[in-house]
Amino acid sequence: MGINREYSMYSAANDEFIDFLIRDIGDGIVSPRLATCKPGDLVEIGGPYGNFCLPQTLIADDVYIFIATGTGIAPFHSFVKTYPELRYTLFHGVRHKEEMYDRKDYAQESYTVAVSLPEDGSSGLRITETIRTTVLDPRAVYYLCGNRLMITDAISILRDKGVPGGSIFTETFF
Amino acid sequence: MRIAISYPPIINEHGQKAMVSQNRNVQFFKKPTYLLPVIHAQAATSVRNSGHTVLWDDGNAQLKSYKDWLNDLVSWKPDVIVFESTTPVMKFYWSTSRQIKELLPSTTIIMTGYHSMRKPEETLEKSPIDVVLRSNNIDFVLKRLVEHMDGNPFWRMSCNIEGLTFRISDSEFRSTGNFVQVEPLDDTPLIDRNLVQWRNYAYENGNFLQTPGTYATSVIRDCMFGKCTFCRYNGPDLTFSMMSVQRSLDEYESLINDCGVKEIFDDSGVWYRGREAREFARGIIERGLHKRNCYFGLNTRFEYLDEETIKLMAEANFRFVLLGFEAADDETLQRLNKGYQMEHVERCLTWMTKYGLHPHLTIMVGYYWQTKEQLELTVNTVRDLMFRGLARTLQVTICTPLDYTPYHQECINNGVLITEDYDDHDMSKLIVKTPLPHEEYYQAIRTIYAISFHPRFLLRQVQFLLNFRKRDWQFLFTYGIRALRRVRQHVFNLTRNSKR
Repeated sequence: MGINREYSMYSAANDEFIDFLIRDIGDGIVSPRLATCKPGDLVEIGGPYGNFCLPQTLIADDVYIFIATGTGIAPFHSFVKTYPELRYTLFHGVRHKEEMYDRKDYAQESYTVAVSLPEDGSSGLRITETIRTTVLDPRAVYYLCGNRLMITDAISILRDKGVPGGSIFTETFF
Repeated sequence: MRIAISYPPIINEHGQKAMVSQNRNVQFFKKPTYLLPVIHAQAATSVRNSGHTVLWDDGNAQLKSYKDWLNDLVSWKPDVIVFESTTPVMKFYWSTSRQIKELLPSTTIIMTGYHSMRKPEETLEKSPIDVVLRSNNIDFVLKRLVEHMDGNPFWRMSCNIEGLTFRISDSEFRSTGNFVQVEPLDDTPLIDRNLVQWRNYAYENGNFLQTPGTYATSVIRDCMFGKCTFCRYNGPDLTFSMMSVQRSLDEYESLINDCGVKEIFDDSGVWYRGREAREFARGIIERGLHKRNCYFGLNTRFEYLDEETIKLMAEANFRFVLLGFEAADDETLQRLNKGYQMEHVERCLTWMTKYGLHPHLTIMVGYYWQTKEQLELTVNTVRDLMFRGLARTLQVTICTPLDYTPYHQECINNGVLITEDYDDHDMSKLIVKTPLPHEEYYQAIRTIYAISFHPRFLLRQVQFLLNFRKRDWQFLFTYGIRALRRVRQHVFNLTRNSKR
């Protein structure tokens, strides 16, 4: 179809197949077409491009905090699967519980979810509220991926908590 | 406080003026295009809105000599002067700041821009400049900084706003760490057109088919792709911010109604795509702005806009589409991290041409690896696209490493950069070792520009007239005459070194 979109890899670096986590945007152009793909269809992939990666040599003492909304969890899934020894905490903001993709792949104590539109009618919670009320280590390295409003708010919260700008890395959706 | 946002006239030995503004590499022209530095214009508006007195001091666009510019600035007695840096004018700015400090010793000089962002200590060491503002979000940070400075004699030590490096003494500097990467663009003001004297930029711009034209407040700050190695919008600490569609539409409506503009160009590294692009085009149509005799233009990438979106944009009276066509060989595109393949270029251009848009190709030559085959492929592909009417205009530049982009750093690391003099980074000559003699790249530039005068290209433009679109008639008879002058200048600038 001749249209490019950028997606983060979901699979681990050494997996046999490359996986992507893509939400079908109803009025989009590319994702609805991808949703109708069948095994055997040809999809061209270029890249990889970009800098949203962990350091090539992980420092054992480093603690990583990942903050994602929706499918913004994709690069963090790849990080966690690639480096099983990674010391991380993942904050995941979703609208509905079924967006907690592959929850089992994250250690119980490392995964915190905020559901903004719970099905049971209870009041929802945004991930930015969760991180605002959580004690966070200002010496940790922070990776943020997801919608830009979350990222704008999260950066502001992290700076208020004393996290230096050089320890915050972002990948913004558009 | 009295704050001057200043662009001194920079004139070279050929009597040519430097064009310096964000999103543009410096080039010298005898009759320059005057480009509104959009983020600095927002910064000026923002600081003025905070109650400060602002001097919009673009000596280039205001047609001042250097002497007059300096005299006027000194007599205005600013508390703060803000400059914008890029590699080929760094030495000029360091020298100018020394001159200003002698005349205005108590004035604080702030340097912004992508070169000093990457090398803040260098600027503080080589000049008396007081502060390097390292953020690309100059409007946000300048406003915070000025508020902190106002009435506070200890601001150098007490300020903790992110993204600043302060001079404490001749040899002691203080950094406040990395800047905030994403800022809410809806919270920064739209440009006050009167403050920045928008008419100074409304006519002398080769990309406007109708005048007065203007630049919109960019909807995307920096670039949503942000991975091309030669581009300054690339780095692990850079990302992009986006303005809401409705806010941008409001500005377009105001520009048409209040300023009477006939062409609006958004110089975002890459404009909206997908849902936002369609929402914007629909918004233009719903507001009736597509019938107001105003064309719209943008930068985009191959494969970012699908046919449905392009069709909608054409209905909304979009015309000028600027596309980076850096090379025609896949190896170069891969090395530059361009993220598109040649096979998709033609389809994208076909869609645009089909619906009456005017694609403009920005081509580069002179990569340090570029072979004869790669160079010829680029020249031949461009010729083919132009002859077939798939692109309407073009510009060619020498790929010049600057502002410590990944490509610049790569050239340094690989030992291919043949100069250490920043003045040589003005895009007037090749400054990297190449597989071919430099003359062959200069000849390629001449060949590409000559396409515009080839009978086959001209015949194709005449054929476009049969579509009976006003823009095609304007293109041939208005733009064509202007283009002659500009092409001559470009060829002179980019090849004059070949005669040395």
